[in-house]
Amino acid sequence: MNNTLSTKKKLPIGIAVAVVVLALPFILQLIAGNDYSVMICCIILVYVIAVSGLDILFGYSGQISLGHAAFFVIGAYTSGLLNNYFNTPLWLTIPAGALLATGIGALLAWPASKLKFHFLSLATVAFGEIVYYFLYVSPKIGDSSIGFTNDYMGINVINIPFLDNYTKWYFFLLFFVVIFLLAKQSLIHSRTGRAFMAIRENTHAANGMGVNVRKNKIIAFAVSAFYTGFAGAVYVHLIRYIAPATAQQKQSVLFLTMLLFGGTGSLVGPIIGVIFIELLLELIRPLQEYQMLLYGILLLIVIVALPGGLYGGVKDAIVSLKRRKETAKLAKSDQ
Amino acid sequence: MQTFLTLLISGLVIGGIYGLIALGYSLIYRASGLMSFAQGDMVTLGAYLGIFYYVWLGLPILVALVLTFITAFLFGMALERGVIRTLLKKNVIPIYIVLATIAVSYIIQNLAQAVFGSTTQWFPQVFPVANLTLFGVTNQTEAYASFVISIILMIALHLFMTKTKFGTAMRGSAMDPLAAESCGINTSLSTGITWGLAASIASLAGMMLGPMYGVFTTLGSTIGRKGFAGAVVGGYGNMYGAMIGGLLLGLAETFVAGYIDGTYKNQIAYIILIVFLFVKPTGIFNEKAIQDV
Repeated sequence: MNNTLSTKKKLPIGIAVAVVVLALPFILQLIAGNDYSVMICCIILVYVIAVSGLDILFGYSGQISLGHAAFFVIGAYTSGLLNNYFNTPLWLTIPAGALLATGIGALLAWPASKLKFHFLSLATVAFGEIVYYFLYVSPKIGDSSIGFTNDYMGINVINIPFLDNYTKWYFFLLFFVVIFLLAKQSLIHSRTGRAFMAIRENTHAANGMGVNVRKNKIIAFAVSAFYTGFAGAVYVHLIRYIAPATAQQKQSVLFLTMLLFGGTGSLVGPIIGVIFIELLLELIRPLQEYQMLLYGILLLIVIVALPGGLYGGVKDAIVSLKRRKETAKLAKSDQ
Repeated sequence: MQTFLTLLISGLVIGGIYGLIALGYSLIYRASGLMSFAQGDMVTLGAYLGIFYYVWLGLPILVALVLTFITAFLFGMALERGVIRTLLKKNVIPIYIVLATIAVSYIIQNLAQAVFGSTTQWFPQVFPVANLTLFGVTNQTEAYASFVISIILMIALHLFMTKTKFGTAMRGSAMDPLAAESCGINTSLSTGITWGLAASIASLAGMMLGPMYGVFTTLGSTIGRKGFAGAVVGGYGNMYGAMIGGLLLGLAETFVAGYIDGTYKNQIAYIILIVFLFVKPTGIFNEKAIQDV
């Protein structure tokens, strides 16, 4: 994976990251003294699952989607409605939401997988808009026409009495993030994952080598939709609110921005991207109506200045630093 | 019959607008093989420029129209020169260009909101007669004017592209940049002009929409995507396909809303778009640009 760091250095870094991640909610509680910052961490964890799903589709199989928020919303509505109005337990509704998103993703991918880049992106935009309007014009559910509001559902996964709710959420989500990331890694290193990458690099060559392009493209779409649908399903219980407008292009672009910013086709890329963009959005939130303007300008600047993403940029910097060190060493030994 | 005529006319009016936007998409795709997600926001830009020149500065409508055209043209060209070309030179994967145009669309929408506020602005009546009755159908005078202007613009563009030296050069550089370059055509300039032209046509569409729909920041984003649907229906990259596709889409949308159900009006365009992409991606004019594998 990360060839720029030697395996010797990897272990202590890994341990340090694990310690920080485990202690984060407690540290934030101490520093900020409120739940809000822990909630932001929870949202980051949810988005990590969603964006990792998008990475499987775009980063590994090379298919673009500007409609992934629709899967997020499908997962959210399915889980939220089942739980709220049919009293189905959470451990059934969340997989149900994710599976429905997977099914719809596979159905969409079946014809969409033959489309070229730009037209696939537009087809997915249209898909997102159709999901949006479908929810928007559907009859009132419960007492609100714009989405629905759940009652708060506390989950007791790690039942430690002196932990407060968002901290519980944090560990609950962290558990799933770890599982989903491990699953992603094993998928990528499997036969299917290699087929994805072959399709990404050269569709015709992959076809010639006996990779079933159509089938693998559909699998990538379905798996990706599962990740994002799952993220949506847990999101709705975390935030306790979802509106049809989330299915529109804006949220999908946000996912894509996070992915591209962190770097595609990697384990840590989506994580870095989600953390960075979410924190950035939080940072410029006080600007209110100028928030999106500034976001647009920053986005444009970053795209023009740093097209490889943050992770790619740092990776390149490390490589060039190493090379400089080596040349310095060589120069010294020459003297 | 009366309902039919009413629907036919309003379908043609909005179809003309879709046709103009679709033309912009096709021109850009033809000239650079790219797709601009900011094309819809050029409509918004045009509508606000119209407000700026006509209402704020109080210029005569024709002057405002020309100034809007020129300003949007410069903006479109600057977008190609400043952003798209820089990215192409860096040899980035195409998704960054898509994302860059999306960022530009955010900037236009939110800048418009910062300058003009988030409330809908109403374009004052342009003609001395508010309503006009044709074939027993009464409509806003601006609606008829918009349709006439759409048709004139389409014919003018057709003449520009086929009869003038410059239009021929533009078509040449879109067809084969290398060959065009060796014939002495400045392909870089013609690509820039194409982006400018696409922006200015869309801006005029926006200015015509103003009196009918009101001017708000998300005016263009929905209509822009419908324009794209029109371009796909006609055959993506085909100029005449874009015009016909836009008109057909406008008619389909209006008739479905009028005869079947108004609540699904906005979905029709997206459903038609998806059906065409999946079933007949080459469109009515059989333009072979889309299929993969």
